[in-house]
Amino acid sequence: MKDDIKILEVLEYLPKHISAMIMKLPEKVLTDMEEIRLRLTKPICLSGSGAEIFIAGQDGSYLVNEDDLKCALQLICNYSMYSVEEELRNGFITINGGHRVGLCGRTVVDNGKVKTLKDISYMNFRVAKQIIGASDKIIEHLIRSPDSIYNTLIISPPQCGKTTLLRDLVRTLSDGRKDMLFKGMKISLVDERSEIAACSMGIPKNDVGIRTDVLDGCPKAEGIIMMIRSMSPDIVATDEIGRTEDADAITAAVNAGVNVITTIHGSNITDFIKKQDLNRIQKGVFERYVEQKKWRRNS
Amino acid sequence: MTLKIIGGLLVISASGLLGLLFSNRLSLRYRELEKLRRLMQMLETEVTYGATPLPAALCSISKKSEGLISNFFINISKCLSERSFYTVREAWNESSELILTQSSLKKADIELIKSFGNILGSSDREDQKKHFQLFYLQLKHQEDAAIEEIKRSAKMYRSLGFLLGIAVFVVFA
Repeated sequence: MKDDIKILEVLEYLPKHISAMIMKLPEKVLTDMEEIRLRLTKPICLSGSGAEIFIAGQDGSYLVNEDDLKCALQLICNYSMYSVEEELRNGFITINGGHRVGLCGRTVVDNGKVKTLKDISYMNFRVAKQIIGASDKIIEHLIRSPDSIYNTLIISPPQCGKTTLLRDLVRTLSDGRKDMLFKGMKISLVDERSEIAACSMGIPKNDVGIRTDVLDGCPKAEGIIMMIRSMSPDIVATDEIGRTEDADAITAAVNAGVNVITTIHGSNITDFIKKQDLNRIQKGVFERYVEQKKWRRNS
Repeated sequence: MTLKIIGGLLVISASGLLGLLFSNRLSLRYRELEKLRRLMQMLETEVTYGATPLPAALCSISKKSEGLISNFFINISKCLSERSFYTVREAWNESSELILTQSSLKKADIELIKSFGNILGSSDREDQKKHFQLFYLQLKHQEDAAIEEIKRSAKMYRSLGFLLGIAVFVVFA
């Protein structure tokens, strides 16, 4: 039932006639859905749990038109394009509840960097799910002693639950686990894209634990340094590292005696070792690697 | 005789007040334009500096003031957060029709305000800032016109009121 409510949150950001069409699906199907895709002049597509559904309107299939996309964009950015400048540059916007909307269209390039997106003609609404207990299986491998953990890197291809796992790890480590004699630790969560804690007006919508401070919307590299200086954390947690600056900041954190938990795109450790930008942290920084595969978890 | 004088005084002061009232209404337009400028400047700060989404930004600036202009902003904010419209422009136009037409603003003023609804929220911060600056320039024109009108007509209305009172008194006395 709770997951069912999750997709309803996403439907609020779609034009009314489209959400009405989707609402006609049986509740059971809606609960399983993870993605809603809008593509210009193509039918609406829902997918999740290995299934794919194309939405049909009253007379045959319904094709998404330009107005639908414009309208959805207005709703997603809360009628304020200026408030999502940075997000547009990254290609996605996080909406209330931590759901992510991927956008795709024509890029405007300035000085070799993507300045903004225009003529947006593809949208992908991804339903974020908080799964309490997602980290139960691996948590024992990450705890070093009652008050410290191993520096951990979660490696996973997209859509396998990296963020979900990280969120649950943060929650567990912050609250502590009495059965494992693990006291909670102070965690600084640098949530660049408001996905992990899903903050809305500064209040986390997801449970991220009682000893967690959330820095919302801050670039990771800067955020990590800021948090070390300001909040004296035991652990710094962040999502999807990838750039040289991120590597530098993580090195700085580890040198400052702070534990790090983070995630990266890839299918296994070899992929991580190959990433040129991260060569500074490839040797010896991380003590535990978690690999995720589709529909199955390994540690 | 005393009755006559009292009656005369009453007539003169009544029409004098009427004249004052008319001239006051003229300056009301100017005051509303001024208030609009002040609120728009706050909105600009919210938009360009705070990057606050419009529904929240409009709501917070309208709390810092009261009266018709402030109601105008509250109404837009309400329309947007209730999702009654799919674009800012529609909500903005609707509110202009609904609320600003009750104010002392002239048609030209309202048209100018309406045109700003096309732009608000539709581009990045830098661009929004430029449009705000342009809007202030255009608003200045309207303000100048309002001042000019006050200078020209307010004095006239005031003296006309008194003179009319005296004339009535003289004719009927």
